Amino acid sequence: MAPARRSRRPRTTLLLLVLAAVTIITLDARGGLHVVTSGLRSVAADAFSPVRSGVNAIVEPIGSFLAGSVHYGAVREQNQKLQAEIDQLKSQDATAADQAESLRQLSALLHLPYLGNLQSVPAQVTNFGTSDFAATIDINVGRSDGVQLSMPVVGLGGLVGLVVAVSHHTATVRLITDGQSAVGARYGPAPGSLAVLNGVGAGKPLSADLVPSNTPLTNGEVFVTSGLQGALFPAGIPVARVVSSHTGDTASQESVSLQPEADLVHLRYVSVILWGPTP
Amino acid sequence: MTRSELARLSLVVLLFVVVQETVMLDLRIGGVHPDVMVLFPILAGVIGGPSRGATIGFATGLVSDLFLPTPFALSALVGCLIGFGVGLATIALDRTAWWLAPVAAFGGSALYEVTYGALGSVLGQPQMLHVALVRVVVVVSVTNALLALPALRLVQWGMAEASTEGMPTSDIGVSASR
Repeated sequence: MAPARRSRRPRTTLLLLVLAAVTIITLDARGGLHVVTSGLRSVAADAFSPVRSGVNAIVEPIGSFLAGSVHYGAVREQNQKLQAEIDQLKSQDATAADQAESLRQLSALLHLPYLGNLQSVPAQVTNFGTSDFAATIDINVGRSDGVQLSMPVVGLGGLVGLVVAVSHHTATVRLITDGQSAVGARYGPAPGSLAVLNGVGAGKPLSADLVPSNTPLTNGEVFVTSGLQGALFPAGIPVARVVSSHTGDTASQESVSLQPEADLVHLRYVSVILWGPTP
Repeated sequence: MTRSELARLSLVVLLFVVVQETVMLDLRIGGVHPDVMVLFPILAGVIGGPSRGATIGFATGLVSDLFLPTPFALSALVGCLIGFGVGLATIALDRTAWWLAPVAAFGGSALYEVTYGALGSVLGQPQMLHVALVRVVVVVSVTNALLALPALRLVQWGMAEASTEGMPTSDIGVSASR
């Protein structure tokens, strides 16, 4: 009996698809296709923005209803009317507290001391990362609000990140904790020494490059953006605070760990600085 | 692929995208959100075999890439590899077995996430291996295994008919008679 033969077509198909994907990735990375891919992403973001809002408007009340039902089941022996009143009051209280907190954050964002005369646009964070492999956030402002690629984004406390994708009404911000993020920074007494702060992943401290060994750093010392010519960020924005530093026996650089000044885990509102690097 | 099959498949892809971009992005387990788009190449491989698994994995991967901040076409690359692999691995199995989709979803999703991180790292994004990869693998694999059966129905409806491509020629008659 002749041995079973396999069709070669699947392997040819796979080979062609892999070649196509690698070609697109390479062209995109080298800039040849980037205009096309960022345009497609922008169109997709614009098209999905109303869908996302609409579905969220439907899903959130259902979630609240289900949560309410569970709560109801647990306390059904109690006086229902009284419980409903308590729930309502609590809800009002929570809503008022939430609104007060939102107002406080927005007011503070409008008066960030380190922004000086720089123009900024406040924005609400709508999503924490569409990928588990990158530290990004989505915000509800876009080109129609004057936001452009590579604009810096700040929050209460300090630098948040950089706009890496922008559509008509939304934008994606790469956080300073993302592994692709590198921020030119200044530290120490004026005029200050230069360093580069690198992200190593969401929720993890930043690491510093170019800090010479045995540099006398104190815990809590704040690194601010350098603002050198061509830098991606204006000068003087607080970036991160030293958590620990030490020099290895044979190391030429200080090993420094820093905590971002902005609370990147609980971001609700941010400001996009309408600023571009000087060429 | 007929026009009606293409239209149905597009509808199912759109539904998956809507679910992913709305419900799944808000649902975080240990800081990780599930990824139902990963299910598509896996189920396409189970239903249609390696060739269609790879093709549909590539196409749905490109759609996913529109919404991701990672390199464009990376999901397409991993999608076609996983669709092909799952299609090949399940050729000899009874594709009507109820357990096949959840098991393939679990294993395929784990392989997808590891391959995604590794290839991203090779392609100039070293941070993609520094994420909580184990957590990502566990969350995505388990949620996709749980969602595999309803998702299988949808993808089956979209793909209309199973393919015999890539199967041993001696098995094609057997498969077609199922």
